[in-house]
Amino acid sequence: MRPRWRKVFSDLIDNKARTTLVVLSIAVGVFAIGVIAGAYRIISDDMSVSYAANNPSNIELRMDDFDEDFLNTIRNFDGIKEAEARRVFNIRIRPLGETQWDSVDIITLQDFEANEVNLLVPVSGATIPQKNEILLERDVLEKMDIAPGDTLEVQLRDNSIKTIYVAGVVQDSSTGAVDFLAPPLAYISTDTLKLFDQPELYNRVFATVETGQDDDNHINIVLSALKDKIEKNGYGIGRTFRSLTHQHPLESTINAVLGILMVLGVLIVFLSSSLIANTLSALLTQHLRHIGVMKLIGGRDKIIFRMYLVLLVSFGVLSLLIAVPLGGQGAYALAQFIANKMGFLLLGYRIVPLSFFIQIAVGLLVPLIAGFVPVVNGSRVTVQKAISGDTADESGEQDEGGAKRESRMEKFQLTATRILADRGIRIQRPLLVSLRNTFRRRGRLMLTLFTLTMGGATFISVFNVRVTLHEYVKDIGNYFLADVTLDFDTPYRLSEIEQFARQDPRVTHVEGWAFSGADILYPDGSTADNVSILAPPAASDLVNPLMVTGRWIQEGDEKKLTISEGIYDLYPDLEVGDYLPLKVYGKEESWEVVGIFKFIGMEGILGYAPYEYISRDQNLANRSFSYRIVTEQHDRAYQEMMAEDMDAYFRDNGFHVQEATPGLSTLDSASESLDILISFLLIMALLTAVVGSMGLAGTMSMNVLERTREIGIMRAIGATDTRIITMVLVEGLLIGIISFVLGLFLAIPFTYGLSWIVSTAIFETPIAVIFTPMGYGIWAGLVILLSTLASVLPARSAARLTIREVLAYE
Amino acid sequence: MARTQPKLASVDGSNLIEIEQVVKTFSNAAGEFTALRGIDLSFEEGEFVAVIGKSGSGKSTLLNMFTGIDHPTSGKVLVGGVDIYAMSESKRSLWRGRNLGIVFQFFQLLPMLNLLENVMLPMDYVGMYEVNERPKRAMELLHMVGLEEQAQKLPRAVSTGQQQSAAIARALSTDAPIIVADEPTGNLDSRSASHIIDLFAELSSRGKTIVMVTHDPSMTKRTSRTVVISDGVIVNETIAQALPLLSQSLMKELSNKVEKIGFQPGETIIRSKESIPKFFMIVSGAVDIILQGRGKDNLIISQLGMNDFFGEIELMRGGKSIASVRAAADTPVEVLALSREDFSWLMEASPLTEKSIGNIVQKRLEEKKQADRRKRKGLFGRKAKTE
Repeated sequence: MRPRWRKVFSDLIDNKARTTLVVLSIAVGVFAIGVIAGAYRIISDDMSVSYAANNPSNIELRMDDFDEDFLNTIRNFDGIKEAEARRVFNIRIRPLGETQWDSVDIITLQDFEANEVNLLVPVSGATIPQKNEILLERDVLEKMDIAPGDTLEVQLRDNSIKTIYVAGVVQDSSTGAVDFLAPPLAYISTDTLKLFDQPELYNRVFATVETGQDDDNHINIVLSALKDKIEKNGYGIGRTFRSLTHQHPLESTINAVLGILMVLGVLIVFLSSSLIANTLSALLTQHLRHIGVMKLIGGRDKIIFRMYLVLLVSFGVLSLLIAVPLGGQGAYALAQFIANKMGFLLLGYRIVPLSFFIQIAVGLLVPLIAGFVPVVNGSRVTVQKAISGDTADESGEQDEGGAKRESRMEKFQLTATRILADRGIRIQRPLLVSLRNTFRRRGRLMLTLFTLTMGGATFISVFNVRVTLHEYVKDIGNYFLADVTLDFDTPYRLSEIEQFARQDPRVTHVEGWAFSGADILYPDGSTADNVSILAPPAASDLVNPLMVTGRWIQEGDEKKLTISEGIYDLYPDLEVGDYLPLKVYGKEESWEVVGIFKFIGMEGILGYAPYEYISRDQNLANRSFSYRIVTEQHDRAYQEMMAEDMDAYFRDNGFHVQEATPGLSTLDSASESLDILISFLLIMALLTAVVGSMGLAGTMSMNVLERTREIGIMRAIGATDTRIITMVLVEGLLIGIISFVLGLFLAIPFTYGLSWIVSTAIFETPIAVIFTPMGYGIWAGLVILLSTLASVLPARSAARLTIREVLAYE
Repeated sequence: MARTQPKLASVDGSNLIEIEQVVKTFSNAAGEFTALRGIDLSFEEGEFVAVIGKSGSGKSTLLNMFTGIDHPTSGKVLVGGVDIYAMSESKRSLWRGRNLGIVFQFFQLLPMLNLLENVMLPMDYVGMYEVNERPKRAMELLHMVGLEEQAQKLPRAVSTGQQQSAAIARALSTDAPIIVADEPTGNLDSRSASHIIDLFAELSSRGKTIVMVTHDPSMTKRTSRTVVISDGVIVNETIAQALPLLSQSLMKELSNKVEKIGFQPGETIIRSKESIPKFFMIVSGAVDIILQGRGKDNLIISQLGMNDFFGEIELMRGGKSIASVRAAADTPVEVLALSREDFSWLMEASPLTEKSIGNIVQKRLEEKKQADRRKRKGLFGRKAKTE
């Protein structure tokens, strides 16, 4: 090996701590970007392929009961390729011996062997349930501890409990995908319907279209025509859904989340590159004498530049060796996690070429870019300067007499100290040393503060966003203020239900609500979307809406509704007072929009109209299928207990109870998805914080290394171990505190930005930002802890230096 | 409560620093290197001592031994009766801050503190003097070294001489009884160097013990004592200075063979035309070399001072003395005398020294010839007093 390359090699291996620091700081960035880019690619490839592989329905119709004959009418309809009829009903199940009931949607398949649409993927056990057997969707396993071969208890309408054998577990990527708030699914064959006391009739159609499976317009045209046909045949349609074959319904949400993670990944790369720039310029300063000697014996700028360039590339290569394999594994793990949560399958572990190349590019380019300026400056330094080591940027200008003038910053420090002293505030010199040391290497301080502040601001923002999102979900809870929702199979008189419910002293209020479904039409008469119209009594206190504009419903409103913000997707210029074309039970009508409120966008469009009007319109005046019950207490546990008690109570009294659900359960899925997102954000925030503290640790060790001689002097004039350690710790803490203060301010725009991106992705609407002291508090503690940890090692090594070693630095 | 009166226990008012059989060996990849070879040395309270030696002779290592900066490999160091190596490094720092003021060649002021703050720092570290008293005391010290006006400046905003003065003020800040200076003038111009030595002399006169390491023999003029170190051993200063080409072992051996003799002012040491039994090296005082004329016409042809030698011409060439040697009239003389046999042994043992003395013999004979010629022509300006 030629001597110059041997020098590069020994630069790499001699100072292992420094090499490790540089390599790790590059590796963290490369890893983060690798994980996110890889996961992004794997998910966007596999999600659509895996979704399409199960032949998802393009059209889902939730309608009145129908039979096999009518299904054939649908199958033969122009433009429909495949159609399957299913019966879906909600029921409560629990593993044998358990006490806790959970709600599932049971899907009855006509023929498992002939299953063509919304294919089921076997996970474990049998793939076809026999009579009185059940298959469970994977999601159910998250709710309860059960496996194929176990027995479930199911509760029927008449309150009787029966058992059913769990034959297997399957994955259904299609059926649940469209409904964000849907309960988990289970599957039975038609033979088993009797067990559940259900008629052998169907209530849902899952169909694919013949052509244009990825063309929403075409699917909408087919759907509109089909609905007309069905309604003409006297069947009512509750709700319809459209999906494209090659696009997972939640794809845009997942992409938005990955997009946010990508932004954070880029931020980490950015932060780690400032860390590298810092370390490399310190390295070049330390190597100044080497450079001087090399130049003295004939080394040209170009040769020296090349040597350090090779050193930079070596750092990059070493970091790639760590980050690429870890990044590949991490990418797949992240993709697997998201796929599990979103209910689709990945196509298998693989190296993503795009992510691989991005990692290599980042791993090689980042050190080159970050180190370019220090290396160019280092290689251009004159021999005289290099040998004398006179390049410290802390020196002021040279005076004629040889002495140097103080810089502005130094003058400011000296004046400030003097002014304080004049006012009786005397800062002890050891503290003064720490304070002034902090500001000596200003370039380095800036970069360190930059990384730490960005990390801190991100961290604080994530906490703010977390509270903002949860608060919003809680606000959404204002639409579900009732403690128990009691649904019946047949309508009952309001007074009757109220009278029965009031028998229980824990019940404080009962309301009957009506419900209506309608199609929103475009001006040309084609169907744009569905709207579910809930109809509480106009004076109800059980809805506390977040109004965007206009007013809430009033008694006396006829063909008037308040509608959720989602309507803007269809009618972006809609204003209060405008008339909206609706198709209600096959009849085209014009409804006046009296108000617009906020809601979770992906839940579809929701409308409210007064019970008084809707019930009259449906010939159900003073009667209702659905009741809202308010109880003495409103916590989740109490609600669950009351739901069970109400369910049992009404069943015992001969009412046909369909379902009694606790009020807050509606928001469970929403909260869970938010928690997943928040945990990702937190992991990224922690990573940025780790990069920030690595930057601080690097800075502190460089500072200690550069000030070794000074530490020796302090030792020589009486400084004990404690004094030296305190000096270094105070400096580290000071940097931490400054970054904290800066982070406080930077967190404000960060919170707004992040919350805008996340809420637009999740709720399809920007939401009101809430700031919480929690993030600030935790970050304050964390930054103190990280700064202390980052300074402890350099401080200890500083205290360990003997004066002789130190003076040998001369 | 801050301490205000530091005082080292002086051992019965005599030796403040005792170094006993100190050996220091360094190990590195090239093997072992012994920098100090069994040094015995002591310094008394109030002494102003110069430790001199060539570069690499071990003088800084010796200084590191009694400042507690480095450990001896073996031997003992007592400062004020305290075994400083019985303490931990951290405690030793505190001890050092209270008992020693150190002045470095490169000043070593902390660059981020102004001169006043630099002087106050040791007081903060060792907790000496009341907090409010510290600025006043630091200012007094800066005033003493002539830097009152520069007190608020950063070190690099003042000249190197001023930086060293500030470093001395810092060394004095805890009123340590011992000031140790490692090449304090090595980086200064002659004017600044002279100012620093003045400062040391003044401090010494106030009772401080000052030990100064230097490689510049001219700095020893103002000190009360000089310790010469060469290759890790303390050698007789006169021998080292008079015969610098001798090896360390020969110097040490020679130290045991010489005899110290004192002469009163004007006393004759060698008479002209008599046989000379000894070789002389001047420890202190001066001697006159006198050419014997006819009758009482004696003339001084030269004067020899400290670390010069005489008697070598006759011992090397044989024969009688060619001139008289007499103690200078105004000062007593102390010489180291070496017998003829020991001189012959020395010349045999050190051919380099023999050659060097041979050259001096040639030179002196030449000078004598010229003096004789001038004498004949009556060119001498000064007559020696008749004995």
